[in-house]
Amino acid sequence: MEFKVVTPHGVTYNDTIEKVTVPTLAGALTILDQHAPIVSVLAAGEMVIHRMDGSTVDVAVSGGIMEIVSSGAVYIMADTAERAEEIDISRAEAAKKRAEELLTQQKNIADVDFARIQASIEKELARISIGKKYRKL
Amino acid sequence: MAVSSKAIKTRIKSVKNTKKITKAMELVSAAKMRKAVDATLQARLYATLAQQLMERLSELQEPNYPLFEQRPVKKILMILISSNRGLCGSFNGNVMKFGKRLLEDKKNLAAHRGPDGQSTPPGAGDIDVEVLGIGRKSAAFAKKNDLELIEVYDSLGDSPDIDDAIHISKNVTEKFKTGTYDKVVVLFTHFASSLTQTVKVRQLLPVAKAEVDKLLTEFPNKDHIGELAPDNRPIETYFLEPSRDAIFDIVIPRLIDVQVYQALLESAASEHSARMVAMKNASEAASEMIDALTLAFNKARQAAITQEIAEIAGGAAALE
Repeated sequence: MEFKVVTPHGVTYNDTIEKVTVPTLAGALTILDQHAPIVSVLAAGEMVIHRMDGSTVDVAVSGGIMEIVSSGAVYIMADTAERAEEIDISRAEAAKKRAEELLTQQKNIADVDFARIQASIEKELARISIGKKYRKL
Repeated sequence: MAVSSKAIKTRIKSVKNTKKITKAMELVSAAKMRKAVDATLQARLYATLAQQLMERLSELQEPNYPLFEQRPVKKILMILISSNRGLCGSFNGNVMKFGKRLLEDKKNLAAHRGPDGQSTPPGAGDIDVEVLGIGRKSAAFAKKNDLELIEVYDSLGDSPDIDDAIHISKNVTEKFKTGTYDKVVVLFTHFASSLTQTVKVRQLLPVAKAEVDKLLTEFPNKDHIGELAPDNRPIETYFLEPSRDAIFDIVIPRLIDVQVYQALLESAASEHSARMVAMKNASEAASEMIDALTLAFNKARQAAITQEIAEIAGGAAALE
């Protein structure tokens, strides 16, 4: 099936694939060929792409939208998307630590800030776990 | 000696140095312009997909979403994209001229436009315009036209990032939602080519379909999207997870982000290309000046030699 991951920074992935596992707000969803049309909201997490030759590619996404159109093509509109080999684990860990410190330091921060920091922690966690998986291979 | 040849020599040297600088600035601007144009094209597919999705979702029923709400316009926020630095030809001047013209016809600016071009005039009463500036030069515009300047973003750098755009669009969306402003427009320089740039105004909020269409048709390069699968199936048969409104909540702010991002990038590309052209002209003027000065220098030198010979000849004649 046709599969595209697009972000405002450009196209991260564009290929014909076998199946893909996508983190949505309702939990992880594995999409096979000929899936019914659906529009779903993505959560921050790992997306696992199974290529036609059986190998897999891990991509960290930080939220966005997935759309499957009637032809079965899958479009992911992600805010950010990074392939495992592009992730710098030490930087991701530093970013997560910074976010956690922010949370503990400011006890009386506004809800908006809290939600934002929470979201950035989730995003960094997804990046770290994908980055680690890739390094072990 | 009519003109001191030494003075001319120093002058030539200084013009040559200036030319080196303008030449370097020209090359740097050309590289930066290319980068901004590339980023514009990169964001295009995302914008196209998001827009198509929104369009199809709004087929379901007349969307009752706060960002679509068309209120009678009392207060307008104008986002003015200018540059931080000068030496870019008429780039800032054009933006300000255009802005001034808009201010002369506030009623027209305040009118809501429907999908087929008909416009609803605003209610009676005064229309207030405030400015959110991007780039340091925008402050001058607000001051000159006696407008309230609510904020200035002057640290976006040469190639604006999507995060900057998100920050700005969140800021104005919040102000629109709370009713501080009834309309938000953005004034930017559309990059048609490295030689032609035109200042344009686009409505950001409330979200209007016609405006989003414009965004997509005005991209400098259209064949960048590639093939998208056609989708004729009615949207009613789609699964919508978790709900249509939740999806709207994600897609519409993204569209606004992309619109702001696009305006920032196009203005950046225009700024750099305006600077490139200005610097090119400066380099050419410097070359001409060097030629003229070299000619003057040679003349002065020749005159000095002729005079010396005349003096020697005169001295020799006096001895005889």
